[in-house]
Amino acid sequence: MRQSYKIAIVFLIVMGFFPLFSNSSWLAVGTTFLIYSVVAFSQDIILGRAGAFQMGHALFFGLGAYATAILNVHFGVPIIYTFIPAILIPLIMAIVLAGPIIHLKGDYLLVATIGFNIIFIQVIQNDVFGLTGGPNGIFGIDVVRIFGVEFMSQTAIYYMSFILLTLTLLIMRNLDASKYGRAMFYINKDDIAAQSMGINVRYYKLYAFALGSAIAGAAGSMFAIQYSAVSPEAFNVVQSIMFFTIVLVGGSASLPGVLIGTFVMFVLPEIFREFATARYLVFGLAMILTMILRPRGIWPVKFGNIPNYLKKDTK
Amino acid sequence: MDIFLQQLINGLTVGSLYALVALGYTMVYGVMKLINFAHGDLVALSAFAGLTIYVEIFGEGKNSLFVVLSVFVITALIIAFVGVLLERLAYRPLRTAPRLSAVVSALGASLVIQNSIMLIWGPNMKIFPSNLFPSTIWTLHGVVFTFTQVMIMGISALLMVGLYIFINKTKMGTAIRATAIDQDAAKLMGINVNRVIMTIFIIGSALGAVAGLFIGINYRGITFDMGWMYGLNAFVAAIMGGIGNIPGAMLGGILLGLFNAMISGYISSEWAETFTFVLLVVILIFRPTGILGETIAEKV
Amino acid sequence: MSDYLLEIKDVSKFFHGLVAIDDLSMKVKKGQIYGIIGPNGAGKTTLFNCITGLYTPEKGEIIWEGKKINGIAPYKIAELGILRTFQTIRLFSEMSVAENIMSGRHIKSNQKWYNGIIHTPSMKKDEKKNWLKVGELMDFFELSKYATTPAGDLSYGLQRRIEMARALAAEPKLLILDEPAAGLNENETIKLAQTIRKVRDQGVTILMIEHDMDMVMSLCEYITVINFGAKISEGEPSFVQDDPVVIEAYIGSDEDE
Ligand SMILES: Nc1ncnc2c1ncn2[C@@H]1O[C@H](COP(=O)(O)OP(=O)(O)OP(=O)(O)O)[C@@H](O)[C@H]1O
Ligand SMILES: [Mg+2]
Repeated sequence: MRQSYKIAIVFLIVMGFFPLFSNSSWLAVGTTFLIYSVVAFSQDIILGRAGAFQMGHALFFGLGAYATAILNVHFGVPIIYTFIPAILIPLIMAIVLAGPIIHLKGDYLLVATIGFNIIFIQVIQNDVFGLTGGPNGIFGIDVVRIFGVEFMSQTAIYYMSFILLTLTLLIMRNLDASKYGRAMFYINKDDIAAQSMGINVRYYKLYAFALGSAIAGAAGSMFAIQYSAVSPEAFNVVQSIMFFTIVLVGGSASLPGVLIGTFVMFVLPEIFREFATARYLVFGLAMILTMILRPRGIWPVKFGNIPNYLKKDTK
Repeated sequence: MDIFLQQLINGLTVGSLYALVALGYTMVYGVMKLINFAHGDLVALSAFAGLTIYVEIFGEGKNSLFVVLSVFVITALIIAFVGVLLERLAYRPLRTAPRLSAVVSALGASLVIQNSIMLIWGPNMKIFPSNLFPSTIWTLHGVVFTFTQVMIMGISALLMVGLYIFINKTKMGTAIRATAIDQDAAKLMGINVNRVIMTIFIIGSALGAVAGLFIGINYRGITFDMGWMYGLNAFVAAIMGGIGNIPGAMLGGILLGLFNAMISGYISSEWAETFTFVLLVVILIFRPTGILGETIAEKV
Repeated sequence: MSDYLLEIKDVSKFFHGLVAIDDLSMKVKKGQIYGIIGPNGAGKTTLFNCITGLYTPEKGEIIWEGKKINGIAPYKIAELGILRTFQTIRLFSEMSVAENIMSGRHIKSNQKWYNGIIHTPSMKKDEKKNWLKVGELMDFFELSKYATTPAGDLSYGLQRRIEMARALAAEPKLLILDEPAAGLNENETIKLAQTIRKVRDQGVTILMIEHDMDMVMSLCEYITVINFGAKISEGEPSFVQDDPVVIEAYIGSDEDE
């Protein structure tokens, strides 16, 4: 995994220079790629690390986006301040929603989380509180202003997303080298052994849900800023399935894997836009083929992330 | 009371369809522990294939018993074949892989089937001919029910009874049950697991095909992506009943159909899905493995 | 407080009406090496699962340091100082040997919830302390050269050692071993016996199931014999060995050890 940090750093350097070489439409794709990568990592915390089959993650991404949109457009809260509720609301909702079902076994959890996502979409589509704008969503989200300076250019938004991804990668690194991150892996690999070692499975699964959803919420807020609008279809189950697939196609719990997954599942279809309809057919075939050839993902995780002073006798 | 009876008929109709589709999910899950996400798309494919077979081979308007039976049998055979192909190509290579890789493969297969339908039949809604079944309508105390509805309920019931007998009374049925309990042990007992899996894909797909045709005949409008909606509902039904459990899928299907119909009748159809999933979560909170699902203490 | 670390009082456990443990009682003293033997399917592992909280007995009491612990979640039981190995090895097989052993340090680590996100100096100290402990255990169990190897890639004997190291990493008061010698060759078994003695001498009480009679008889200080879920004999090795009831049970069940 040491190697994977180096790759992540190279990736960040490349992405840091990307705006210098790209036109505005590719800059937009690049920005969304950064944001989706953040969501993919947050999905990875829950699915790839803690091993909870979360197939409704777009719900938390959407909660963050709608929190920013509603607070800014309906209540005039400056974007900068909406960032905090955009993180806290998904975090709290994750605990409230996942709490009662966290004990469900694999596929039962998967269906329940799909259910939450679908309910969320119905709630915003039917405009229950008169705040979500129904199927059209919410338009006219303000730009970010800090000390009177407006960050409204595409490049500015790109770099804000870039910072968000950098922070997310830092969190992933810290998580990997902590009791909390390891506990998730233990639960994932063998929950009975994990419990017998004193690990409270429920607590760490909820921790993963809370952390993953908070990060997804931050990404949602950024997404709302990028498009200065939000609408339901960006957060429906199809999107959730995409995030779920990104992690598995790329490689669960693998930093390069998740980045590759996001690239393959999001950027490639953008590149092959001209092939309009046929592309999803090819896409489906590619998903099947990838899993057959690389069942653990394109770039599987490598364990053995231990301090150097323990490696003295190895080789 | 009229609303109630009317929704009871409607609910039983939809519920029968859900149950037929749910059986496909549950049988595959029982043996392979895999959610076959492409199953709903096979149902949609069946509606389109049936439409083409009916119109192109027999000609619209012909509705003798022979024609109707032929359409059903040919379509079911085609879909069963596609189901077997699906298993061979997308699932068999992943039998020993981590569980989630097969899930992704299933999602991929779903995309493939859905988009193939779209490329072949186009992205717009197709209308199923109205004359495959007689358009007889009965009215009883203000409650309306159609010939088609009666057929759906009757045939579904017959198929389910047939399946129940097959699973419980035949040698192949026993092999299926044994494989569902312990695949390795079944292999050691000389059961040909590949044949068992092929059989469940044939049966599950054929039942889904019948459901797909019924959907076309009853609701008329068919779209390339409708498999997702029917598939999801049927899958939820299977989970409610306890996935892997055959009577559970039947019970879950009927229950969900009735529940949906009552919600639409008394509250609002706008919130149908929300109610569906609230019901699901409530059931799972109290019965984590569904209504008829058993909780087995894992042997340590 | 009684003299006993662990007391099992009239415990019964059923599976679908089938009796797996039948009114079983036993007492383990602090510092003892305590053996449990009995034919296959006697209910030995089930008893361990009851003690460690994986199963809840339908009847009876399990008393740990004077307090009733049945019905308590497995992770809390581990926190109390009861750690175990498994008959069918349950390692985190894709993870490295060092990471596997580190799981034992979980309950000894005092990291806070925010340390999963932000590292603090005290957290780094905690991290280092725990890894060093893992290093010590790898040295003790001669596993250092496999530190970064996935546990699942190693031989059976090594895996058994990793499981024991993992449990010991939690600094247990009671170490429960379920057939630790199963699958080991003669040399490995002798070494294992020495290791178990050393561990006990460091103050850890040992409760073990074992089919290898030579090992049990030479190592254990007290033995309980179970058949069909019920205790049929108990006492010091010399007594149990010659107890006609025990001989009968073993001959009756064509046990060949
Ligand atoms: N989770 C379970 N569900 C159903 N039956 C079980 C379960 N766990 C154990 N049993 C049954 O309880 C009985 C005792 O099993 P146990 O594993 O405790 O035996 P054991 O003494 O450890 O045998 P061995 O020496 O073979 O390990 C057996 O009949 C077994 O099949
Ligand atoms: Mg045992």
